[in-house]
Amino acid sequence: MSIIDLTSMGESQVNLRDEINERLSRLQDEISDYCYQCAKCTSGCEAHKLLELEPHKIVALLKRGLIDEMINSDLIWTCMSCFKCRERCPQKVAPVEVLFALKNMAVASGKQIPGNYTAMLQSVLSIGLLQDVKNITTRDNKSKNRSDLGLPEISKPTDPTKFQMMLSKLAVEKV
Amino acid sequence: MKSYVLYPGCVMPTEQYAYEMSIREVFPLLDVKLVDQKGFSCCGEPIKSVNQMLSLALSARNISLAEKEGLDIFAPCPMCHLALSESKRILDSDPAMKKKINNFLADEGLTYEGKASIVSILDLLYDIIGIEKIKKLAKKPLNELKVATHYGCHLIRPSEIGRPDDSENPQKMEKILEAIGTKPLDYPEKLDCCGGLLTANLPESALTKTGQKLQKVQEQGFDAFIDTCPWCHRQYDSKQIKAGETVAAKLEVPVLYLTQLLGLSFGISSDKLGLDLNLSPVDKLNLGGK
Ligand code: SF4
Ligand code: SF4
Repeated sequence: MSIIDLTSMGESQVNLRDEINERLSRLQDEISDYCYQCAKCTSGCEAHKLLELEPHKIVALLKRGLIDEMINSDLIWTCMSCFKCRERCPQKVAPVEVLFALKNMAVASGKQIPGNYTAMLQSVLSIGLLQDVKNITTRDNKSKNRSDLGLPEISKPTDPTKFQMMLSKLAVEKV
Repeated sequence: MKSYVLYPGCVMPTEQYAYEMSIREVFPLLDVKLVDQKGFSCCGEPIKSVNQMLSLALSARNISLAEKEGLDIFAPCPMCHLALSESKRILDSDPAMKKKINNFLADEGLTYEGKASIVSILDLLYDIIGIEKIKKLAKKPLNELKVATHYGCHLIRPSEIGRPDDSENPQKMEKILEAIGTKPLDYPEKLDCCGGLLTANLPESALTKTGQKLQKVQEQGFDAFIDTCPWCHRQYDSKQIKAGETVAAKLEVPVLYLTQLLGLSFGISSDKLGLDLNLSPVDKLNLGGK
């Protein structure tokens, strides 16, 4: 199985997009009711000063249904998932969840996945982990691995084929 | 002695070995037995931006594996702990979703039941083991080191999911650090994010976040910076020099895992705690003493 299965525009992706669409419209309904644009989310946003993300504007754009505009923007990928916006919103709106849904939608619509996400995803699909075990270097430049350090063998999926079967279904199944 | 399945996640067991080593050394001394289990995968949290359903299923899968042992789960990585806790919360309150996820898990002969609790590093140290027990074991004087704590965003937010400490004024790390004879002090940047999750797509910005916080910590004269998250530690310790470059500062802040400092205080040798794996200048603290 390859990354294509998760990101292609194929028939199978329709269901995934439906699911994300549902999620987005649910968020849209809740938000139109509750968000009063106080911008408290933006005032504490970790990505605001450095990368100009304004979560209250993301919410406002969602309210107006400008989803395509957002999934085509790099801005949604500047969120660092600190959850401060969700924690601090006086109206229990969670801009971070809107951003997750938008990023999921961008991927499901075949937009390019930025940076290393593709490699991370591929690694999870093939070995079950974000990355394989590394040799690391000590402060005085000696190379060490898990067994040098007396650590047991790493825990990872024992039957990769079955594990991949589960994941491939997930990417296509409507849930 | 209470037993937990150790859920290691990805970052700790593939490169942040000092965290794993110190965890495996410290908890048995505190009468906690850690049980290893084969077959775990990523918790899914780091790829939530790509596919949230995938994260949910991966977490459910890991919980169901551990449930086979009939034990609760200890997830030392705050990101894993959040992913597993959130997944549990969704599946325990939404029978339709649970059914769907179990459908996927059936391929590997697994079933999510929802019996296991998910325990974080602070739940375990502060609420389950308790300060008194830690105090009793503390023997090596830590010279009132002036320490700054870094909880990591995922350990304290979102509180709606159930987090081990207060989202705006967490103090459990401070209480633990006081118990072993150090002097933790609050500072204005305490809740700032390390930026670690941006490593995937905006690595320079991630390092800038790291550098900005650490620079403030250095300016305020702290002796050491203490964390509990392998993602954060990778930023503050492993990448400290590069992080310094982003803010044009020469950073020389000793960064240690909470469990490493606990281990030192309990008299465990620095070798066993992986202290030579810290790339930040921990020698400055003169805590070595093999
Ligand atoms: S999402 Fe919440 S914090 Fe942000 S503007 Fe709306 S009401 Fe205010
Ligand atoms: S979760 Fe994202 S949008 Fe929300 S405050 Fe943090 S960086 Fe900003």
